Amino acid sequence: MSDVGGVDAAPRRGAPRRTDGERILLWTLPMTVIIWIGCFVLFPGFNPPMSPSLSAEQVAAFYRDPAHLPQIRYSMIVFNWFGVCLVPVLTLIVLQIRRMAHRTPIFSYAMLGCVAGGPTLFLVANVCWLLAAFRPERSPELTQLLNDFGWITFTIVVPFLIGQSVILALAIYFDDQPQPIFSKWVAHFNLLVAAALVPAAFVGVSLTGPLAWDGFLTFWVKNLAIAVWIIVMGVVLGQAIYRERAENRPHGDELASA
Amino acid sequence: MSAVAAQAVSAAAPPSGPLHHRIAWHLRHDPKRELWLAWGALVVFYNIFFPVFFIVAQVQPPPQPTWDLATQVHWFHERHLGIPVGFGVIFAISGMIATNNALIAYSMRRMSVSRAFGYSYLLIYSFSAVPGMLLLNIALVVGTLRPERDPEAIGWLYDFAFLSFDGTMGVFLIGSLIWMLAILLDKNRVFPKWFGYLNLCNALTEVVVAPCWIFRRGVLAWNGQIAWWLDMVVFGIYQVTFIVMLFRMIQREDFADGPLPDRVRQKAVGQ
Repeated sequence: MSDVGGVDAAPRRGAPRRTDGERILLWTLPMTVIIWIGCFVLFPGFNPPMSPSLSAEQVAAFYRDPAHLPQIRYSMIVFNWFGVCLVPVLTLIVLQIRRMAHRTPIFSYAMLGCVAGGPTLFLVANVCWLLAAFRPERSPELTQLLNDFGWITFTIVVPFLIGQSVILALAIYFDDQPQPIFSKWVAHFNLLVAAALVPAAFVGVSLTGPLAWDGFLTFWVKNLAIAVWIIVMGVVLGQAIYRERAENRPHGDELASA
Repeated sequence: MSAVAAQAVSAAAPPSGPLHHRIAWHLRHDPKRELWLAWGALVVFYNIFFPVFFIVAQVQPPPQPTWDLATQVHWFHERHLGIPVGFGVIFAISGMIATNNALIAYSMRRMSVSRAFGYSYLLIYSFSAVPGMLLLNIALVVGTLRPERDPEAIGWLYDFAFLSFDGTMGVFLIGSLIWMLAILLDKNRVFPKWFGYLNLCNALTEVVVAPCWIFRRGVLAWNGQIAWWLDMVVFGIYQVTFIVMLFRMIQREDFADGPLPDRVRQKAVGQ
């Protein structure tokens, strides 16, 4: 049981884990946020969010619009490149969970299990939108089918995001040590974000109103909650990583001088 | 470490009183609370999963692959509310699967085998949720979204949903074989060897389901006696068994590295 926290965590902290390069991974996050916001603004389907009530002909016209085509393609190609950029940052959170005073690695395992789920679902949506734009002359029915599949998948990307927020919150609540890795408010915040993401799971219920895919709860609240989560977790993760480096530095100096 | 852990385990003496007091005590003080929480999430998930698929959404047992398009459209129409509401619940809670996979990965970590087993299982089963369940959910939700959609397109969603669900095999096949191999190699007695072979039975169901990609009618079709009914019975037995097995493992857990003690012996140590 070498990598568990709790009672046997102390000897492990005597030999700090390797953290070189973690700050580079952390600082990719602001870059990712800028790229994601850029793509989000560029994709015409998000400004404003496409209405699910559009007819098949109107959806086909959206993809056939010469002004829209390059915007759809370029925004989604760049999203395809950088959509997975959250994975290294989530992995850094997994490593911080490992430092918590837990008796088992259950929480870090569970978090690791969630990490790739969100990007995988997002890439399915991404491919649907790119496919719809690939042959805009396709029958409007098929273009609408791809568009529906893309939008539903994009909106129900939430299961793994809810999972990781709840798992992280529980991990923080169970981190019983004088100086916990994350403060308790981070756990409360994660539960709040998880609750804000739940309505998006019910996107299939209606084509109009707050639960439709362009609705207040499923589009605005969900995406805003993800954005706020990324920013807040980026900051508190950064603080935890820098604090860990500061705690380990004296050790490193001793080892270097030995 | 083991002495300290044994002390901590034996120090656990839950107070008597109302149930919620005892649960609160366990959440704060039980040294095995992380394992019990993961196990509880597993039980809760499957207690929601089956009623949603069978009663709310009514997508299992699966419909006929041989139905004509008009019947398929009618099938979607009958479930225009059950599917989006039921699967909404599934989308909201399916992150819980991660704790389930984490607990099974932990069981392999507790064995005398390499950590590679637990990590492989964790990665394969985490990935399996997308092709093995979520694609079915998404396709069926899209199918119910627009009743006026071209029946040809609805028929494509129908096939896509049930074939991705039944026809996603390798992740469960290889995942079960990894767990089986770990159990058979293990010297820490985490699980009985017969449970290893039950994993083999579960893996074999993923082999016999393969013809669902080829046959549209008969015992091998996606709703057939072999590809669905036999597989469901084996999976049901397997699932109930592993829930009990994991329960027993947590009861016996001593947080040491050696063989897992028997439940009786641990009680004696506790006293």
